[in-house]
Amino acid sequence: MIWYNDLNDGIVISTRIRLARNIDKTPFPAALDDKKRVEVTKKLFDSVLESNSALAKDFKSYDLDKLKKADKISMLEEHLISPQMVEGKGHSVLVNKDKTMSIMFMEEDHIRLQVIMGGYCLDEAYDAADKVDDVIEESLTYAFDEKFGYLTACPTNAGTGLRASVMMHLPGLTMTGNIGRVLQSVSGVGIAVRGLYGEGTNAEGCMYQISNQITMGLSEREIIEKLRTVVNKISDMEKQAREALSQKHRAELEDKLWRSYGVLKCARSVTSAEAKTMLSDVMLGQNMGIIKCDGKMTPLELMIKTAPSVIMEGKELTPAERDKKRAEMIRDNI
Amino acid sequence: MMDLFSELFDMFDGMDMFSTQPQKVSYGSACPVCGHTWNDFTRTGRFGCGECYKTFRNGAAQVIRQTQSGDHTGKIPSKYGTEIRARRHLEELKRQLKAAVGKEDYETAAKLHAEIKSIEGGASK
Repeated sequence: MIWYNDLNDGIVISTRIRLARNIDKTPFPAALDDKKRVEVTKKLFDSVLESNSALAKDFKSYDLDKLKKADKISMLEEHLISPQMVEGKGHSVLVNKDKTMSIMFMEEDHIRLQVIMGGYCLDEAYDAADKVDDVIEESLTYAFDEKFGYLTACPTNAGTGLRASVMMHLPGLTMTGNIGRVLQSVSGVGIAVRGLYGEGTNAEGCMYQISNQITMGLSEREIIEKLRTVVNKISDMEKQAREALSQKHRAELEDKLWRSYGVLKCARSVTSAEAKTMLSDVMLGQNMGIIKCDGKMTPLELMIKTAPSVIMEGKELTPAERDKKRAEMIRDNI
Repeated sequence: MMDLFSELFDMFDGMDMFSTQPQKVSYGSACPVCGHTWNDFTRTGRFGCGECYKTFRNGAAQVIRQTQSGDHTGKIPSKYGTEIRARRHLEELKRQLKAAVGKEDYETAAKLHAEIKSIEGGASK
């Protein structure tokens, strides 16, 4: 099931595992010219698909050079490709049927294998990625060094090549003004905090990605365990913040959340930023038992599906047309 | 701001990151596989290929020491696993041989010497 439709506890929304891999004796993507890049991509595709019928059956391939920009941005917003892959040439991706796994080719590294699942499931996601990594390795020889581990374009990814990340919805810490201190504290222990779509993006809708920075010197399980400790701690803090808001400012909180619901239920034009902020309020209202939504889509699904390029569905729309369509979609489905 | 977590921040403050003073590294030659130079790396922060880690080994080790937690201890690809395990076994035998010679245990040393020779002979065939 695609991650945003899966169950979550209202705080940990989704779990992502990414493994960076490169093939031996071949320049990394940025060091290849266009012709060579096409050759290497073909080699990767052939090796991954032709040598393994199970993968070929389960995955659909996309040559990103042949997709419209809006379609690529949709894939980005579903977290199936990285922001880097929307721009530039020579990128391809394999996506499985339920969109929980994507194998990105020629991003910064030759292969970026990603598993994304709804809820909090670090072990399950890592096991799934590890299994497919073993299958891919049967037909390719990875660039690997005993001391430096899996070799990657950026040495901050070398070693395990593992980036484990958890997307958290933290409106309680945001509203109580504690979010800055929490995030600053975790960055000192080798944990990175990014926005909804990864590096360099803003934390819209109170969504934060918490991930490991250190990839070498710890085993994959140790990295995951360390991340889990921090995520559990932040999760406890968020619960306390919600509890404090509920006890000390219940009336103001209810008013704020219902106002957001009211606007979304009635507005005729809603900007992307407005939608994310107000849907975040409705999500919090639902999680705290204040608002009961019985629409066709969850607030989280609406947050993903009303992002600018997803709402365009491949068509060219002006910002005003997008805001109108977004308002309609939310009204009909919330 | 509602100050809810003062005591909890101590947990994070107690954990420290390691820092080392970087030394100046320079290399005259380019990587034989991708042609990248050490200057290319210092300019972009990216290596051109896996071989760069070998070509600029000391520089790579220094950069990694500043951002990572130690040598790789995670997964080993199965293709490399046999080779790495075999090399680690040979290193262990050599370490035992040295210890046996040190203790003047020539019987054990002879056995270890024969085993090492047989492994090294087999590997060179």
